[in-house]
Amino acid sequence: MACRCGAADPAAPCRPISQYVLKVHSRCDLSCDHCYVYQEADQTWRNRPARMAASTVRAAATRIAEHARAHALPVVHVVLHGGEPLLLGPAGLREVLAELRATLAPGTVLDLRMQTNGVLLDEELCRLLVAYDVKVGVSLDGDRAANDRHRLFAHGGSSHSQVRRALALLRRPEFRSSYAGILCTVDVRNDPDEVYSALLAEEPPRVDLLLPHATWDRPPWRPPGVATPYADWLGRIHQRWVDDGRPVPIRLFDALTPGRAGGGTEAVGLAPADLLVVETDGSWEQVDSLKVAFHGAPGTGLDVFAHPVDEAARHPGVAIRQVGLAGLCAECRACPVVSRCGGGLYPHRWRTGTGFDNPSVYCPDLLALIATVDSRPLPDRPVARRSSPGAPPGHAGDRPPGRPAAPAPRPAGSAGDRHVESATDRLLTGLAGGHGDPWALGVLAQTQLSITRALLATWRDTTGGSAAWELLTELDATAGEAVDAVLTHPFVRPWLVRRLARPGTPDDDLLPALAVVAGVRAEADAELEVPVRGDALVLPTLGRLTVAGARTATVRTVAGRLHVRAGSVERVVPLDAAAGSTLGWQPVRRVPVAGVALAIEDVDPERDCYGQPVAPTLDEPAAAALGRRLARAWQVVHRDVPAHGAALDAGLRAVVPLAPDPGAPLRSATAREAFGAVALTELPDAATMAVLLVHEWQHGKLGALLDLYDLVDPASTVRIPVAWRPDPRPVEGVLQGAYAHLAVAEVWHARAAADRPDPRPARGHAVRYRDWTREAVDALLGSGELTDLGERFVRRMRHALEGLRADPG
Amino acid sequence: MDQTPPRHSPPSLEVLTRSLRTPLGQVATEHPDTLALVRRRFLAGRSAQPGTVPVAAFNSSI
Ligand code: SF4
Ligand code: SF4
Repeated sequence: MACRCGAADPAAPCRPISQYVLKVHSRCDLSCDHCYVYQEADQTWRNRPARMAASTVRAAATRIAEHARAHALPVVHVVLHGGEPLLLGPAGLREVLAELRATLAPGTVLDLRMQTNGVLLDEELCRLLVAYDVKVGVSLDGDRAANDRHRLFAHGGSSHSQVRRALALLRRPEFRSSYAGILCTVDVRNDPDEVYSALLAEEPPRVDLLLPHATWDRPPWRPPGVATPYADWLGRIHQRWVDDGRPVPIRLFDALTPGRAGGGTEAVGLAPADLLVVETDGSWEQVDSLKVAFHGAPGTGLDVFAHPVDEAARHPGVAIRQVGLAGLCAECRACPVVSRCGGGLYPHRWRTGTGFDNPSVYCPDLLALIATVDSRPLPDRPVARRSSPGAPPGHAGDRPPGRPAAPAPRPAGSAGDRHVESATDRLLTGLAGGHGDPWALGVLAQTQLSITRALLATWRDTTGGSAAWELLTELDATAGEAVDAVLTHPFVRPWLVRRLARPGTPDDDLLPALAVVAGVRAEADAELEVPVRGDALVLPTLGRLTVAGARTATVRTVAGRLHVRAGSVERVVPLDAAAGSTLGWQPVRRVPVAGVALAIEDVDPERDCYGQPVAPTLDEPAAAALGRRLARAWQVVHRDVPAHGAALDAGLRAVVPLAPDPGAPLRSATAREAFGAVALTELPDAATMAVLLVHEWQHGKLGALLDLYDLVDPASTVRIPVAWRPDPRPVEGVLQGAYAHLAVAEVWHARAAADRPDPRPARGHAVRYRDWTREAVDALLGSGELTDLGERFVRRMRHALEGLRADPG
Repeated sequence: MDQTPPRHSPPSLEVLTRSLRTPLGQVATEHPDTLALVRRRFLAGRSAQPGTVPVAAFNSSI
């Protein structure tokens, strides 16, 4: 794969790394006897600093940021790890988190995680973790007896009650957003039923089960005469889980289930392991569970001060983990289940003499476990219910050999453990809760951009090359951000879909205008012929220039301005309003809201995609009034439900004024293909506008999610009665309505609970929207029309709904 | 949403992320499968609505 970093040399191929484990503290307050950091072959921790110095954090963050920029990584996952990261204390932790967010977040979406034993977690730390949007995984091996088998203090005391106290803290509504899940290390001497029940009692968003670390030199403990004790033990938990209707994602099982979205994990599957570890002294290391193999096994001899990520990524030990099937031994390559097993966890393959060129030491267990999983297929996947022999390749979860699966974030566990979660899990869980965090919004925006780019490439294939295409691709290689800025304009995709789906439509080519806009954003010197639409030159995201009597205009881009020649008339358009105005130029007006420049989109003709008339371009007073109301409404959303405010900040970029209609004065709309924009009528007050913004943005987010996953059986023809309309709705329409109303219920609930003179109207709205949503959610769950993912999503919605008290206020 | 025609299976997160890392000019040659998936998922069936804007819109009123 050629990459924007330009590292196309086949001898040194580009290997983008998106996951980083930062060993911020190398000591631990527990002394677990199954810990790979302290109890295994590698003992390098003894000579390393206890804490990662601020200068090392900065150097690591700078390396990661430059790598993310060079490879245009949409998301970077950073896991704080140890030892025990909470030994940093609140001040030390804050320093690390602030440095990472400040250095990394401007250029990419930063997914921050931490794996902890939980012993030190308190309210102050929880507040800090929520403030910096850190997702926390906690290590717990099950019930007290199971946990006490290994997870003890050095003095031999139990850590069980402290860990349970930490989990209770994370369950509290104000901290729940930082609760990522539980990581449990398997010990077949424990009772699987007790372990399963104990894990579920903690209401984790997800669970991961980890096989204890072992190699061929030091095989795992097995009871005499039992061939596959680990498969048997896990099989029992799998049975309980299936019987219970898979109430919580269990990563290992999901990853082994064919057709299940989410892809592989570090422990199973062929997904490339794009992961690097930074030790407390700044050394780049390979996956740290390699410590079980031999002393110094994870080392690379490189460090963050002298070596960029690209160099560490080319280390043979890192590189071989990215080549999928080709990196496995002959026996695994010939194995019929290799695409699902992937040879097991890399360190489990180690044997003195043959190195890692072996199957997993758990091979018989892995084979048996896969057979167990296959014996209990998913009950409600549409592909299983309806035969679809022609299903296209690449369905989420479809992982034929040689094609790695979805790039799941692979946060590491507490040292000695590794917590693995897929992007799918996180995306669905985050959005189903009602809001979606900045990470989720970032993923939606990036995948929407990817779809638009694929459609644009299709347009190029359909229409052939052009000067505009040449310019756009050249700019994409040299100034990708400028191209992305124009391709994320909400109305590019609707245009592409219309043109591509209905060839022959008499319509102008938008490509030259897109290329010109990218050119001026990149401060490139370029010239193109751009079609005139009606009587105007329309430049998406910038504005519209009235150009009478010409079919095309020659546009030259120079830093900060455009030179436009149409017929014999030549005009210069400065893009900075402060540099003066040009006759006939109508710039796109923007409102500053919460650090975002929200566009009032009343210029681009492509905005007419809402199935109802859009308003003509507003005059200055009307635009200014709308801008003020939008800014105020935005503040109201932040006041009412800050998480919805953050979700608006993270993704809503344009508002389209709808034409007034006295018969329906309060209207709003979302177009599935115009991600990042909503449409509204002129509204009397900011509080009403706030509700509509939240409502429509829910449709926007869910629409983008539905582009990625089928939550409803695609062949569904069922209609369900709903409380908010007289006519029964298709299942996807019910889901959309319920998702929007869930958020609206939250807004009214917050208003009812606020200290207002008369809370009764808000209380009435809160109850109504909550009841509508509950009825719709129950109808969806009872419909049998949801896919497995859809059911999980809707169950989460119901969980969020239960968080709204019966009697608001 | 009511007007949305039956859709084909979606491209995975991984597929979309990978193609995003590829220069625009090489997306078609390096990710033909992605293009095919995107075409099937997001274009198929759109042309069956002559005379309308083939964009599924969600109109809400309060
Ligand atoms: S397994 Fe985790 S909690 Fe236990 S000693 Fe190792 S680092 Fe500490
Ligand atoms: S470890 Fe065993 S089950 Fe897994 S791929 Fe290799 S041979 Fe197959």
